[in-house]
Amino acid sequence: MAMRVKNRTLKRLGAFAIWLALVLVAHSQAYASDVGNCLLCHKYPGLSRIDENGKYRLLYVSEETFNRSIHAKVQCEGCHTDIKKIPHDPAKKVDCLTQCHIIEPTSEQKFSHKGVEEFLEHSVHGRYDKNGNLKKFAEDLPTCKDCHDNPMFRPLSFFKRVRPGISDAALGRCRVCHSKDEFIYRFYNHVTTRLHTTRNPKNIAEVCARCHDNSELIARHGLSFKAVATYTETFHGKSAEYLSERVPDCLNCHVKKGQSPHQMLSYKDPQSSTYKDNKLAVCLTEECHPSAGAKLADYNPHPNFDRKQNPRQFYFTAFFILLTGGTLLPLMLVMFLDLLRTMFPHASLLRKK
Amino acid sequence: MLLGLTVVWTVMIWNLTFAHLYKGDSHEVQTAKDPGREQPKPVEGKAAFQKQILDSEKTVKLYLGYQVLEQKQLLGHFHIVDIQLKPDTRNYCISCHGDIPHDKFKDLRAFGNMHASFIACQTCHIRLEGDQATHIFKWYDRATGQIVPSPVKDGALPGTYNAKIIPFERVDGALQRIDSQARIDFAAEYRKQEQSLSEVQKSKAKKIIHQQVSKQPYMCESCHVQQGSLLPFEELGYSKQRIDAFVGTEVIGMIKNYTQFYLPHILEPGIGSHEPEKKVQ
Repeated sequence: MAMRVKNRTLKRLGAFAIWLALVLVAHSQAYASDVGNCLLCHKYPGLSRIDENGKYRLLYVSEETFNRSIHAKVQCEGCHTDIKKIPHDPAKKVDCLTQCHIIEPTSEQKFSHKGVEEFLEHSVHGRYDKNGNLKKFAEDLPTCKDCHDNPMFRPLSFFKRVRPGISDAALGRCRVCHSKDEFIYRFYNHVTTRLHTTRNPKNIAEVCARCHDNSELIARHGLSFKAVATYTETFHGKSAEYLSERVPDCLNCHVKKGQSPHQMLSYKDPQSSTYKDNKLAVCLTEECHPSAGAKLADYNPHPNFDRKQNPRQFYFTAFFILLTGGTLLPLMLVMFLDLLRTMFPHASLLRKK
Repeated sequence: MLLGLTVVWTVMIWNLTFAHLYKGDSHEVQTAKDPGREQPKPVEGKAAFQKQILDSEKTVKLYLGYQVLEQKQLLGHFHIVDIQLKPDTRNYCISCHGDIPHDKFKDLRAFGNMHASFIACQTCHIRLEGDQATHIFKWYDRATGQIVPSPVKDGALPGTYNAKIIPFERVDGALQRIDSQARIDFAAEYRKQEQSLSEVQKSKAKKIIHQQVSKQPYMCESCHVQQGSLLPFEELGYSKQRIDAFVGTEVIGMIKNYTQFYLPHILEPGIGSHEPEKKVQ
């Protein structure tokens, strides 16, 4: 009798353990990053305030969107390291270089963006010059959040090239060896997002435009034109405007092959991809214009409509403006007047009543 | 009229063609002769307004390939803001106080503003008593101002409703929403004529507009309470699960944590320092 009771108890305990495990697994999938239940408050889009400097502080986090972002596996406390309890004091500014709980699989060490800082410091956007002196107007130079918001997964599907995003066929192949769907989706998203840029050319140009189309910043740093506005005047820029993924964006030309955008150099640096002697190699890459002649290096990808800077472009463009305006303006005016006469056959400005 | 049309037409074509030759919208910028020496000038007045208010947020589209994600982009903000609530066209309080009005108490201001996104100001800031009290609350659409069925029932995510809760009062025996058209018109007229009013007239108008406002607004515990909540959650369309969450230990416990040490200040807004005192264990 006692044995039967003991067996029954063991079965119940076993069933409870299985139920508990299922609940925990389900919970961990739904709220992968929110172990602290931060979304209890932060799921509300209205959670916000205006700070002492008149700046709008929005404290809302969209769970659905966050879970489709590159940082979905990072817990809130991974970045907001100063928050140890709820309710918490006003959170400090996040340090993107902090170590988070994610383990980098190749080094098996805690993950950090620390390496990016070093790249950035040696790049054209670094705050120090080659002699280690702080550059003039260093405060204008970008830090992480000036270029990056939370990047979204942008998976690429090669499957029949019909639609981007998740390819069910590819996932099917993953499932042959891997059983956990959460892992499969995340791994697939990670790899296919990294096979191209996380932003399309139009969005990349928009990010660069925040500074490079800002007249104040351009003037202060001795630049001579709006980089993105001039890019959008070109065939490349216009295609990007129409969301083409197959035209070069800022990074394709300004980042040396095999390097990261954080390593971008000034066009005056002989190591730079945009240095006058290296420009041709950028255009001649296999994806772009492999059979083009050497003269392609003369192509100006930032045609500024300015007589002094680009006289050839200026007069060429001016000619077409004159041709178009000179032809269309009188023609359309005549058509417009003709239309008016048709609509109001007896109207006259001169007739006296 | 004909002449006007002709001028408009000509200007349009001019802008599309010849204006490019003259206009300063070429991509050239005034380059500093010695960029290293020029100090940035502080932005003031109209330019500061443009930079700090108009340019500080805009709507952008992220082209993800499988989805175009429209988001409100705030300068220096990391998380994607994928939702934009429609402006509340009915609420006459926000025309002066703004849509993010809570500011006084550091610990509570964000929570106050969060609730203000789906609860009309009058719900907490007016205490209806006696014959006026009806205990009737309904949802109104932020865009049209009309009373609408509960948006909660549609399965919308918490706080993403384009509707707000408004109390009803009883006036001469008849039921009416507290933000009556007469009150809206009065407040609108005040704003229209504010510049031309004398100081005495301004004070009178403000007094009348704020006549119903209670010095002691309803606080968190008025609704987040197991029994006798101010808001009839069930009638407002909330499910039992959601109601349990509102009055559960997580929410109530947090409210206690936030309020127990600051209670005197909360109950007497405006008295004493605006900075909450240090917590005393």
